[in-house]
Amino acid sequence: MLMTCSEAIEKYVHDGDTIAVGGFTTNRKPYALIREIIRQGKKKLYVEGSGSGGEIDLLIGAGCVKLLVNAYLSNGAFGNIGRRFKRAVERAELEFEDYSLDVQPLRLHAAALGLPFIAVSSLLAGSDLEKKWGISAGKYLQDPKLPPAKLLVDKNPFNPEERLVYLPSPKIDVALIHVQKAAYDCTARIEGPVFIDVDLIMAARHTIISCEELVDPEELRREPWLNQIPSIIPDAIVHLPFGAHPSQCVNYYDYDPQMMYLYDYVCRDDGLYQGFLNDYIYSLQGHQEYLDKVNRYCLNKLMVGEKNYVENLVRSNNRS
Amino acid sequence: MTAKHVEESGYTRREMMAVALARQIKDGMVCIAGTGLPLLGATLAKLTSAPNSIIISETGIIDGRLDQLPIGVSDTRFAYRASTWWPRYRYCGFLIKMRDKINLGFLGGAQIDPYGNLNSTSIGDYHHPSIRFTGSGGANGIATNVNTVIIMRHEKRRFVDKVDYLTSPGWIDGESGRKKLGLPDKGPSAVVTTLGIMRFDQKSRRMYVGECYPGVSAEEIKENTGFTIDLSRAVLSDPPDDHILSVLRQIDKDRLYI
Repeated sequence: MLMTCSEAIEKYVHDGDTIAVGGFTTNRKPYALIREIIRQGKKKLYVEGSGSGGEIDLLIGAGCVKLLVNAYLSNGAFGNIGRRFKRAVERAELEFEDYSLDVQPLRLHAAALGLPFIAVSSLLAGSDLEKKWGISAGKYLQDPKLPPAKLLVDKNPFNPEERLVYLPSPKIDVALIHVQKAAYDCTARIEGPVFIDVDLIMAARHTIISCEELVDPEELRREPWLNQIPSIIPDAIVHLPFGAHPSQCVNYYDYDPQMMYLYDYVCRDDGLYQGFLNDYIYSLQGHQEYLDKVNRYCLNKLMVGEKNYVENLVRSNNRS
Repeated sequence: MTAKHVEESGYTRREMMAVALARQIKDGMVCIAGTGLPLLGATLAKLTSAPNSIIISETGIIDGRLDQLPIGVSDTRFAYRASTWWPRYRYCGFLIKMRDKINLGFLGGAQIDPYGNLNSTSIGDYHHPSIRFTGSGGANGIATNVNTVIIMRHEKRRFVDKVDYLTSPGWIDGESGRKKLGLPDKGPSAVVTTLGIMRFDQKSRRMYVGECYPGVSAEEIKENTGFTIDLSRAVLSDPPDDHILSVLRQIDKDRLYI
């Protein structure tokens, strides 16, 4: 169903829900949906992260997250460690679990296929990812939002010589995905890398899709093999041009280095950070006001051409 | 790095490190490179000595041309004219099933022990760390499945007897360490640091000093290493030539990594 951003978040994201977010670090992150979650003051979210970037750092920094299942969290060269994530862990304000960027996508893939677990050989062996659990065994058993354990090491039933790590599939309430094109009938198309997004959608109970362009269903149905998300799956479609800003969106725009550096800068100080949240989220009515604040002139400079990145984009840090 | 050193040699130690990294990639090799200096080294190699190398990103990008320096593994610059950009789980399957097709993976970390076991998760107690980092990312899978080159800032607090958290397995505790755990017959081959190149003994699998960068003594490496390290096999690295330095400065003119 076609909805406004605030309607979609209000209807499908609830305090205490487990969310999963599409894209990868600085690519096609559903920032506008994330900013709306923060604006509405959602609390105690569980996040099944895989290639997390600044959007998860922002959610943590705004106090929306209770627990993060982490595999990676970074804005690349624009800020290698999510500073709010880092600070929240160091201050014991965030519960967390660690997997790798191999087993976490496999867990999400298993969840999408309706499998209760997935088993791997050799991955995690000898590491503390296997030995140390961020969340206690007791909490795994008690908390209905979590699977029954981080993992289980046992022999392969078909080949008892082989040692396997069994990983339970995560349970996800809402998937938040930004795509290039969606239609009125809720058919949606990711142009560019899909990362693990289709799996997130199929693993989740609900899906909110934001899109660069809202198009006539006939345009997408002409080539159904290019669409990954069938009309019957999304719960909400929200039309949000530049909805992935400041991350990249293939065929539309590049990342915004100055916004990325600004974020990394304000992350270093609690006062500056609150000011940033206020300036770019709380004080604004919604996405349109955000775009006005970022400034149309700056956004236009990010539009990509044939190379799918802006060739002469200034990527030096003006703040240092 | 002091300004004086740049004046004398004409390049910084970080630039030397990027060049040393690029030298690990021979033409035609298949390599996995992650965010940070590995990406810079891979881009540099691709544009100079190893134009036919195939660079892979853990986000599923296979064989991008790397015309411009990417800021991370999901940057479209990594995928420029790439052969394929797979969904993420395809990369995982590729890594596990076709590990013998991959020559090298590049890893960075916060702490390393004498056997090349790496920590990129946290310092101090895991549950209440004094410093927290990004976590494994693709590092655990790369260290498990393929031969690796590790990139480290060479400091005593980073070269330690025991890592606070073992994110990515190296040679574990020596010759048969990996075998005992059922890990594939691969492992770290070199540690490229800010001071030189460390290698691992074929038999004991313990780290030794392989090369010192020009202007760095083996003694200086010893002083900056938190465990006993063999200096007897150390040779002097060749300095970078003007061509590679100019390419390096051109591709990272925004100073993203150097």
